[in-house]
Amino acid sequence: MERRDFFKISAITGAAAALDGCGKPEQQLIRFIPDEDLVPGVATWKPSICTLCPAGCGLTVRVMQGDAEVVRNGKLGLLRMGLAKKLEGNPQHPVNHGKLCARGQAGLQVTYHPDRVRHPLKRSGARGSGEFQEISWDDAVKELVSQLSALGQKNEAGSVAFLARPLRGQRRVLVETFLKTLGAPSPVSYELFDESVLRRANLLSFGQSQLPTLDLARSLYVISFGADFLGTWNSPVAQAIGYGEMRQGHPGQRGRFVQIEPRLSQTGANADEWIPARLGSEGALALSLAHVILNQKLRSPSAGHAASLIPGWAQGLPDYAPEKAEKLTGVPAAKIVELAQEVTSHEPGVAVVGGAALAQTSGLATALAVNALNELLGSVNSPGGIFFTPVPAFAASADPQGLPGRSQGQLAALNAMLQEILLDRPHSPKVLLLHDANPVFATPPDAHVQAALEKVPFIASFGNFVDETSVLADLILPDHSPLESWLDEVPESGTLTATVSVAAPAMLPLHNTRSMPDVLLDVAHQLGGNVSTSLPWKTYDEMLKSAFGELEKNVNAKSGDVWKKAQEDGWWSPSEGNVTGVKPRPVPSAAGRAPLTLTEPQFDGSPDAYPFSFLPFASTMLYDGSLAHLPWMQETPDPLSTVMWGSWVEINTRSAEHLGIRQGDLVEVASQHGKLQAPALLSPGIAPDVVAMPVGQGHENFGRYASHRGANPVSILAPTVEPETGALAWAATRVKISKVGEGKLILFAGGMRENPVEHQPR
Amino acid sequence: MKSVDQINDDLLRPVVHTSGRFWVAVALLGSVVLAAVGAFSYQVWEGIGVWGIDRPVFWAFDITNFVFWIGISHAGTLISAILRLANATWRRPVTRCAEVITVFALMIGGMFPIIHLGRPWLFFWLVPYPSERQIWPQFRSPLAWDFFAIGTYLTGSIIFLLLPIIPDWALVRDKTTGWRRRLYRVVSLGWRGTPRQWHRLETAMHIMAVAIIPVAVSVHTIVSWDFAMAPVPMWHSTIFGPYFVAGAIFSGIAGLLLAMAFLRKLLHLEEYLLPIHFDNLGKLLLMMSLLWFYFVFAERLTTWYGNEPAEMAVFWTTQRGSFAPLFWAMVFCNFLIPFPLLAITKIRRTITGVVVASSTIVVGMWLERFLIIVPSISHKYLPYTYGHYRPTWVEITILAGTFAAIALLYVLFSKFVPIISIWELKIGGHQKPAVRAAEAVSACPSPAGAKGLELRPES
Amino acid sequence: MAHKWGMAVDLDRCTGCEACVVACRAENNVPTAGEDQAARERVIHWIRVERYWEGEFPEARLKFRPVLCQQCDAAPCEAVCPTYASYHNAEGLNAQIYNRCIGTRYCANACPYTVRFFNFYNPVWDKPFHLQLNPDVSVREVGVMEKCTFCVQRIKAAEIQAAADKRELKEGDFTTACAQSCPPKALVFGDLNDSASEVSRLARSRRATLLLGEVGTLPKVTYLEKDSWHSEND
Ligand SMILES: Nc1nc2c(c(=O)[nH]1)N[C@H]1C(S)=C(S)[C@@H](COP(=O)(O)OP(=O)(O)OC[C@H]3O[C@@H](n4cnc5c(=O)[nH]c(N)nc54)[C@H](O)[C@@H]3O)O[C@H]1N2
Ligand code: SF4
Ligand code: SF4
Ligand code: SF4
Ligand code: SF4
Ligand code: SF4
Repeated sequence: MERRDFFKISAITGAAAALDGCGKPEQQLIRFIPDEDLVPGVATWKPSICTLCPAGCGLTVRVMQGDAEVVRNGKLGLLRMGLAKKLEGNPQHPVNHGKLCARGQAGLQVTYHPDRVRHPLKRSGARGSGEFQEISWDDAVKELVSQLSALGQKNEAGSVAFLARPLRGQRRVLVETFLKTLGAPSPVSYELFDESVLRRANLLSFGQSQLPTLDLARSLYVISFGADFLGTWNSPVAQAIGYGEMRQGHPGQRGRFVQIEPRLSQTGANADEWIPARLGSEGALALSLAHVILNQKLRSPSAGHAASLIPGWAQGLPDYAPEKAEKLTGVPAAKIVELAQEVTSHEPGVAVVGGAALAQTSGLATALAVNALNELLGSVNSPGGIFFTPVPAFAASADPQGLPGRSQGQLAALNAMLQEILLDRPHSPKVLLLHDANPVFATPPDAHVQAALEKVPFIASFGNFVDETSVLADLILPDHSPLESWLDEVPESGTLTATVSVAAPAMLPLHNTRSMPDVLLDVAHQLGGNVSTSLPWKTYDEMLKSAFGELEKNVNAKSGDVWKKAQEDGWWSPSEGNVTGVKPRPVPSAAGRAPLTLTEPQFDGSPDAYPFSFLPFASTMLYDGSLAHLPWMQETPDPLSTVMWGSWVEINTRSAEHLGIRQGDLVEVASQHGKLQAPALLSPGIAPDVVAMPVGQGHENFGRYASHRGANPVSILAPTVEPETGALAWAATRVKISKVGEGKLILFAGGMRENPVEHQPR
Repeated sequence: MKSVDQINDDLLRPVVHTSGRFWVAVALLGSVVLAAVGAFSYQVWEGIGVWGIDRPVFWAFDITNFVFWIGISHAGTLISAILRLANATWRRPVTRCAEVITVFALMIGGMFPIIHLGRPWLFFWLVPYPSERQIWPQFRSPLAWDFFAIGTYLTGSIIFLLLPIIPDWALVRDKTTGWRRRLYRVVSLGWRGTPRQWHRLETAMHIMAVAIIPVAVSVHTIVSWDFAMAPVPMWHSTIFGPYFVAGAIFSGIAGLLLAMAFLRKLLHLEEYLLPIHFDNLGKLLLMMSLLWFYFVFAERLTTWYGNEPAEMAVFWTTQRGSFAPLFWAMVFCNFLIPFPLLAITKIRRTITGVVVASSTIVVGMWLERFLIIVPSISHKYLPYTYGHYRPTWVEITILAGTFAAIALLYVLFSKFVPIISIWELKIGGHQKPAVRAAEAVSACPSPAGAKGLELRPES
Repeated sequence: MAHKWGMAVDLDRCTGCEACVVACRAENNVPTAGEDQAARERVIHWIRVERYWEGEFPEARLKFRPVLCQQCDAAPCEAVCPTYASYHNAEGLNAQIYNRCIGTRYCANACPYTVRFFNFYNPVWDKPFHLQLNPDVSVREVGVMEKCTFCVQRIKAAEIQAAADKRELKEGDFTTACAQSCPPKALVFGDLNDSASEVSRLARSRRATLLLGEVGTLPKVTYLEKDSWHSEND
């Protein structure tokens, strides 16, 4: 607050007080008695977990005393309490070793965001109108319970659906148990950057449906097929730590790095060599490398099970001779040979695949090809290669196979549910519980998510923000922010150590919110019966404690030891301290299946009418759009374009010249499924036949900083899926572009080139 | 032929009689000045963000106006002093106009170091004064030098302006009655025109004329050092001192000519400010235009040959880039247009010709100041930090206000002081020669008159 | 021995992720400008990651270079400040005394690195964002210049702590917010007077260069050039 405002406010309150005689008590802020023991000005550090992406980095939260306006027992007042001031990486955490990414740093803003839902809300206007009225927690929970028990009375107890971002840890166990005992189907997960194609490939090639852990610190050669592993993909902080070591961690030995992608990403920007192979041809390139390696006998040809999934491997992949691959990929044959020789002469070398390379109709075959290449390079489960992190039997208790269904495409599962609703199937969901997923924003228009959700009789959301999906809810039961919650996490990658993270709330809640698991437990008890008995805990921390009890039994630790240690450190590993002997999750044998032929990727739209491949990409700051509401993220320039507070359409400089498009022009991008407008950004770092757009902007309803800003590239995507998994092939749409006017591009950078003289006008 | 009475009448008329035109001028100019004061108040209230400045263009109109007005101030005192020392007799009707410009232009220019502050209410921290915290300004900063330079120049110029006004005020005192008489009695400081007083006045003027020349040269040198002392491409240059002084005199003379033309019409001084004055000053202007061109050429050529990357970025943005239109407009205004107008004797001898040339020069020199500042800081070393600038209405209003302010001050000044030095005119004999020397000598209570006569009020 | 705080920036490690940028923002109460002010080139980032393109498609390459105040030993920003608001402290830091700053912006023009930022308006924190403000760092009002301080609040806290523990400050006691966050350890902060410190070691590296060294500002930030693709075995 400015001093001037302060004076104004004092003057106004003063005048009001004078008018009222003594001032009405309800106009004065109550001071609550502090219940924390804090020394003013002295920071305490509390462990927590970053929940902004699936990497699950460990946090330490700097907590200091401050006066916050809070609601307690329905009353607004001032409380002197511990406030989170800064997030740091947890120095000992096996994933992030004290480091955080830009998004993780901004996680603080989630807690203090002015647009958080501050108390339970009940819809008061039409669905989607955004009109809600405040209700009490008792009434809110009662409402949900009565909806659920009404279903039970109609013998439809199972007609409950839970739609969420992929749940992890004990939250998943809780939700799954809750649904199972109601007789409802498993939760439906949805997020845009669904990794199920890679999970499926890893399951098929290596028997693990996990994302790989990259041991970059020990690699000498990295070929990445479209994976933004330093920015947004998999476990970016862990990978960036490894990358730093690879580059300069070993005196005299500098690892090399080649990036293959049609648009230079933040990760690609760091590569020694950028190869803009044709979008969707990454698998062919991988197999061509394998061809050269096999034919020049640069490695022993045995490539285990992974190779058996590749047709023609035994014959030396004759279809992928470099000359043939050149036609498919646009990469000169000589370059392919050179790459193959380099990667084999710099041991250990590793291949990584992710991102747009897999968001294709040929995604699974591409992933399998890279997996086989890795096996050929000898980099699977080997130093400098890829590993699969052992997952302690903590979160997997509901499903011993671990991470099941995760190799099932999320769009397919979501679609199945939506179809039931749209077609009014008998057991279609009558009550939908929504948690943290925003499919209205993150699905292609032809998925008709909004239309389907509008048909669901009752939707309750646990969201702490109103977004495009939760605005459809009838009831909002706002969750605590992560820093106010009990958190737990089992990192599936990013570390070679089996790890369970856990954290108590780092601070007291600011608003009249409740943690989602606590509410669910409360609901379960009020429903009574099976649900109540299968979830015997009053609060989520009790449930966590009992899960840790199981873990303690497994490792023969004294009861309570692990629980205590994990809370102190923020994480625990079975290989830590004197507790040893946890069994890694049993590895299921790969499902025997026939080899999968790599086919040409299919794009939606004909090349004549729609000359450009459309490449949406995860924004370094806004991620998949779920962080667009944070002003720190909006105002941090994109690392490459330096755009702030908006969208852009990235076009190759020369292609744009041909179309008469200049930097900053407003461009219309049209696919067969929709169109959008955004300012043009000309770049030398993108293939001439590709236009790219960051995902994240274009929110219609996501707080004051994100709403009505920029455009959402997902809104013009075709609903194409990778056929084997049913995952959305989000990079398989073709578009056309045209200039429609003047756009507004807010750039942080002045110049493009380092040499000032290159800025002289021609 | 002008008699002494005629001179008295003509030159005292504006002081004694207030025409409707005076009030119209005051109202018009005053409202523009008020608008500028309003704009400044708005800036103070809201924050300096209401200007168009940004990162990296932290200075733009503000410091342009500062340098421009300090430059304009160089016509007056400096020219007047030189002409006095050179005993150029044609100067006599011109000197006061010129000295007034100096004082007012300095006052206006000198406000910009305050106006441009992010926290103008703390301007006094620029001033060395003993405070209990014993914190002095930092004397390494050219901004602190500015304070001394401008302070000295302003003080000197005020003295230089006021000294020769004393006899004229005495004349007004003697020629008027009522409140005017009482007022001018005070300000004429007991001037009775005794030989001793004349002698002291002459000596003082001589000392001031000698002293003010180095001060004037130093002032614009120091202003140039505001830039030259910072390692900014195309600022950090040894040529800046003389370049700025030359530019200052150049713009100053142009400003003076405009003021003279304006007064000539407004106060009906056609008989006093003659084409010969415009012609003579026009020649000076011509020389300064050539000198200015020489400096710009030398500056550009050495930069181009030096080919230092950071400097070349600034160089090209002015020669061919986004600032090129302004740059070439400046070259037209300062050289290509005025040069022929002033070089061709026929045109120079018309007042119109000189006025047109002066007008383009005033515009051109404002642009020159702008182009010294903005292209450099918007293209400073690291291309990632290059930026743009676009002024807002606040800055434009303040700029307009400065022009209105100087005109308003001029109009008000001529209300209180004869704008042409009456006694000097009388001594010098009015060129034309309208007043014969003998007449002047007999009518003028000067040492030249040798009689020490007092000028008695006429009944 | 007096400390001489410095930083090394390894351009071969930096990935352009900008974790440092957000970390600094969080630590130092850097205000958010908002869209309109951003469009007017008034965003404040005490540390920025410059990116420069080289070449044209398909040979286009990109370079990242984090730039923060270089804490120059011959700082042009100090000499020009008329009020001693920009000032060299005993440990060689270029300190910025907000209360003494009257907003001439001269220092920002004089700084060759353009790392000084001005408060064109009073900063605003939409409530309750104000609760996240770091109480160890003052917020800057309208008309005041600000810039990277090398997290001086952390330096002071560590020095006070060491004094309380009756010991010398040692490497690892603390680091700056940007260096602390930087995943690939591209930013290394430490004492240049301690020849055994990591930052001293890096400052002596064969890859060490100074940014705009030719301007003669004597920066205390060392840049370690990227190793090239073909210089593997050096
Ligand atoms: N800048 C500045 N500093 C000053 C002074 C100054 O004028 N200016 N004045 C100095 C002087 S004279 C004094 S006395 C000190 C005062 O300094 P402090 O003693 O620090 O004073 P307070 O801020 O009033 O509050 C102390 C704490 O007690 C808590 N508290 C309130 N009631 C109770 C209670 O019943 N039980 C317990 N356990 N806690 C309670 C409050 O919430 C608060 O957190 O400040 C000194 N410091
Ligand atoms: S990678 Fe970044 S966003 Fe993801 S968990 Fe780690 S810190 Fe959080
Ligand atoms: S955090 Fe480190 S790697 Fe990331 S941009 Fe900053 S300096 Fe570079
Ligand atoms: S980098 Fe700029 S702000 Fe920092 S000390 Fe050097 S001149 Fe001053
Ligand atoms: S802006 Fe402030 S710190 Fe910079 S020179 Fe002016 S008074 Fe000094
Ligand atoms: S050293 Fe501190 S103040 Fe400077 S850029 Fe890094 S975090 Fe910001």
